[in-house]
Amino acid sequence: MDALKELENRSIYIIREAFAEFKRPAVLWSTGKDSTATLWLCREAFFGKIPFPVIHIDTTYKFKPMYEFRDRLAKEWGMDLIIARNEEAINAGVGPDTGKFECCTQMKTQALMQCLAEHKFDALILAIRRDEHGIRAKERYFSPRDEDFKWDYKDQPLEMWDQYQSITDVGTHTRVHPILHWRELDVWEYVKLKNIPSNPMYFASGGKRYRSLGCEPCTFTIDSNAATIDDVVEELRTTRVAERSGRAQDKEKSFTMQKLRALGYM
Amino acid sequence: MNVNVVIVGHVDHGKSTLIGRLLYDSDSVTEGRVAEIQKLAEEFKKRFEFAYFLDSFDDEVKEERTIDTTGVMFKGKNLYTVTDVPGHKEFIKNMLTGASHADAAVLVVAASEGIQEQTGRHAFLINLLGIKKLLVLVNKMDAMGYRQEVFNDVKQKVEQLLATFGYRDLAFIPGSAMEGDNIYKKSGNMPWYKGPTLIEALDAIEVSRAVKPLRFVVQDNYDVEGGKLVVGRVESGALRKGDRVVFMPSDVKGRVEKIRAWGAEQDLAEAGDSVGLVIDCAPKRGDVCGPESNPPVAVKQFLGEAVLLGDRLGKGETVELRCGTGRVKCTIKEIREKINSETGEVTEKNPAHISEHEAATIVFSADPIVVEKFSDIPELGRFVLVRGRNLGAGIVLETKA
Repeated sequence: MDALKELENRSIYIIREAFAEFKRPAVLWSTGKDSTATLWLCREAFFGKIPFPVIHIDTTYKFKPMYEFRDRLAKEWGMDLIIARNEEAINAGVGPDTGKFECCTQMKTQALMQCLAEHKFDALILAIRRDEHGIRAKERYFSPRDEDFKWDYKDQPLEMWDQYQSITDVGTHTRVHPILHWRELDVWEYVKLKNIPSNPMYFASGGKRYRSLGCEPCTFTIDSNAATIDDVVEELRTTRVAERSGRAQDKEKSFTMQKLRALGYM
Repeated sequence: MNVNVVIVGHVDHGKSTLIGRLLYDSDSVTEGRVAEIQKLAEEFKKRFEFAYFLDSFDDEVKEERTIDTTGVMFKGKNLYTVTDVPGHKEFIKNMLTGASHADAAVLVVAASEGIQEQTGRHAFLINLLGIKKLLVLVNKMDAMGYRQEVFNDVKQKVEQLLATFGYRDLAFIPGSAMEGDNIYKKSGNMPWYKGPTLIEALDAIEVSRAVKPLRFVVQDNYDVEGGKLVVGRVESGALRKGDRVVFMPSDVKGRVEKIRAWGAEQDLAEAGDSVGLVIDCAPKRGDVCGPESNPPVAVKQFLGEAVLLGDRLGKGETVELRCGTGRVKCTIKEIREKINSETGEVTEKNPAHISEHEAATIVFSADPIVVEKFSDIPELGRFVLVRGRNLGAGIVLETKA
């Protein structure tokens, strides 16, 4: 079996397990390549129509093309789209100047907490991958979070042979990671194979492109001439630059990502 | 070919260091990561360690030990997913999580310490998991002056230990993960050693997948545009359009009219394929499907060997048993032999209970569920036990007990 097919099969199996095991699942969508590929996998798993809501966390600081891409695809794919915003923090003027750690926590983690409390979701499908970051490499496919969103990374469940722990107490939820085993290169090869729409910001113009998309004030371009998907695939085969090198919140201090994630960050 | 390799062994024998070395020497480390680790080492007033490529939790760096399993990928002749596991007894569940998908294992034994508690336990557990391909790295040869007699002594003792678990004719490689000897590059420090480097030995591994009868596990029933579908995965063998099949324990039969993926139809589905079936019967989640000529059997009793990760499990106790997508209540009918998971020795016959980290052969009596003998169809010959949280894991020795 070819490698992409194998990755896809496993992801579909995991998504179907989540759908069978949980009462109210939802999938998170940043509009980036990984979560868009994950939405595609959900469509594959359910033969076209995603049978649960798609959540977009809107920090209000996303790039304009991300909002345009979101609205276009949500319509084309017939998504049940929920836009989650922490209005209180937005009104209070929280932003990157408040501090990146605080901003990520308020605008992303808190916004998601409010959304979960309102809709009572017990499982969230997320598009994190092991090869993105050392902390994400430590994750399980099904990863429990307590009432306060905390990740007890020191005591993670046994997870063997595709037997996932799916016990969820009231108020807690489980993070489901169907593409945990994919690499960045695999995602792009899959995007190419399936002709999945992608945000134009990923492709170079004027010698620069975005390799990972986040909020406008905290996301930077890399030097690149990769103007098409083929170019991106070729670039990734040889690059030694880290994928999230253009993401500010990863590198403020050592273990910032761990601290963000322990609090419920994605 | 994608090969999953798990690195096992006692705490501080150099598992994380070995993987860090493999990543570094195969140019799989991104720019900036080395500088980042140097900065980290300074911040914590420690020396640069290859292990920090893997140990990403602050507690792991501070305490200099791996807490949880990590999977990293690098390219040799094969594309490797290498899994690091913790070497402490308290993290055995994380070790099992990491090892459960491995095709092959590397047992790391420090030449300076020889066999230690988790050397034996990890060897016992990978054998229980059915991992037959095993290599041994005798590590930290630099600390022992690269002496051949040290290597020979460790090799002989480890060979003896591994023979008790049924491992024979294994490759033993003398090396140093810290210094890079015989890991990715041939060492000039041990001219007496003529064998392969670790990466050469890994590249030579062939993962064969035996021909087995069809088993398809049912995950769900979907009502989609175009009709009703039974969705699930082929665990072993192959499923063809037109096949006459039986689903157990529901005991329903049908003919496969269509094999569907989204927007596509196929004539054949093979092991690993997640597909939807159009079929003239209504099986349920938890059912296993096989050919009419060699159908799966639902059992009410079987003999298994399990290792316990929770507190205590006693005779007469009822827990949940999970195999494939099947989930049933099962009772510990009889504990035949209690086994020390460090040595593989039987320590007691017919005990009333077993404790954390102990293994045992157990007769389970359960609501009807399809399980297969592990040696016949491993995909459906392994199970986990659940009591609130996941409690233990095991394999099926006999489907009749």
